[in-house]
Amino acid sequence: MSRLNIIFLILFVGIFVWISLFQPNTVERIQRGALSVFSPSMKAADKIDGAIETMGEEALSPMELRSQLDASARERDRLQLEVLQLDELIFENNELRRALQYVESSPLKLVPTRVISRKPSSWYNTIVIDKGTSSGINVDNPVIVPVGEKAGLVGKVSEVRGDNTAVVLLLTDEICQVSAKLENTQEQGIINGQRGSLRSMPDLQLRYLSKEADATPGQKVITSGTGELFPPNLLLGEVIELNKGTIDSQAVVKPSVDFDKLKDVFVILPDAIEKVVDPPKESEEP
Amino acid sequence: MIFFLFVTLAITLAFFIQEFIPFFEWAYYSRLLLVHTVFYCAAVSVPFPAMLLLALFTGFIWEARYHLPVFTSLNMGTGPTQAELPFGFSIFIFGLMGSFIQGVRPLFRRGRWELPVFLIGICTAGGMIIEYLMISFHRGGLEVPPELWWKMLMTALFSTLVSPFLLLLFSRLADRVGFKIRMEGITRRYSYDGDTF
Repeated sequence: MSRLNIIFLILFVGIFVWISLFQPNTVERIQRGALSVFSPSMKAADKIDGAIETMGEEALSPMELRSQLDASARERDRLQLEVLQLDELIFENNELRRALQYVESSPLKLVPTRVISRKPSSWYNTIVIDKGTSSGINVDNPVIVPVGEKAGLVGKVSEVRGDNTAVVLLLTDEICQVSAKLENTQEQGIINGQRGSLRSMPDLQLRYLSKEADATPGQKVITSGTGELFPPNLLLGEVIELNKGTIDSQAVVKPSVDFDKLKDVFVILPDAIEKVVDPPKESEEP
Repeated sequence: MIFFLFVTLAITLAFFIQEFIPFFEWAYYSRLLLVHTVFYCAAVSVPFPAMLLLALFTGFIWEARYHLPVFTSLNMGTGPTQAELPFGFSIFIFGLMGSFIQGVRPLFRRGRWELPVFLIGICTAGGMIIEYLMISFHRGGLEVPPELWWKMLMTALFSTLVSPFLLLLFSRLADRVGFKIRMEGITRRYSYDGDTF
């Protein structure tokens, strides 16, 4: 090996070691800079992707659009009324909880976001959304979508990369572990996806159920709310089969959210999940 | 020097084009890793010191764009520990695989493209295998589902299919700017009555 090659090799190793020792805040600054450079092409790629998806669809006539708009306006009004009623119920519920010194629940504060990049990584099941610090989004915020009349868990924010970008780790990834329970039972466990991002809809594994656990195919699996990261009762999936072991049981779960068609998702802001009420001062009367 | 700048520009351009390259569901979510392919094609075209500089550049930009600091104990209550793939890891992969590619550079310079093209696919998949092994090491268990091999194979195949075009582009570019890749083999094989190809 020539002297020049050795000099460059030493230089390469030195710079590599220096870069790998960067502090997390330095890495964050570098990534924010890179994102600002690449975000126009990311958005353009998203637009092209959307255009390709809608290419085969027929354009709606102005009359049809008007009709759809009216129907949407009616639905919005109905939902607004429902929200008002729910707010009243939550207030009443919290009054009762406070009286019983229970944990107070609050309405979910949601930030609507749009998916601007799907699966940017080869090995992690992630998406990139178009909201970040400017909307109050932080690491570990849960992300949901409507599934029928319920909210389905999509995943959680794993990284916030600037004012208008965040990375969401999907529930289908092995490392996104959520405390879950079988609906209408006390059976709790940990649910997670699969390693390697090899499929968009892999079966989920619900582990650490008791060995006496009983689950029927089709039974719903929801978040248990323990751990305080995810709010309770978010839909995760449906049981496909239950495998009983000598120590515990494990269920195979089909995800409820269609991870292939994620377009608009909602981030739950942390303050909205739950806050503990200070216990009322005890009376000093004898 | 001019050729090196053109190659750097081509890698930069590949980063922007990479955003538009989709994953293929039928191929277990594999995709063409254009940045890797362009880098490996460049690695076989330039001398060793230039390859190392390109590895630093490509790896750094790749990390800045795609590095995801996923922690092993992210949400199980023990708090963040260490990112599975440290920042800058791609620089190591590009450097290592680029060095392998350099091994067939003499062959490439003689005009034999078969092995370099094949090796570009192998190196693309090799880099992915190293990343997967690192992730498995952090998670404490090696899982090798059949789909994983298909994903590697398809990614390698995409790179192998694209690389001849990129090698041709680089060789033409080198001719234009006077950089000597010296493809005597191709010159000899395609020469006719003294007119060179």
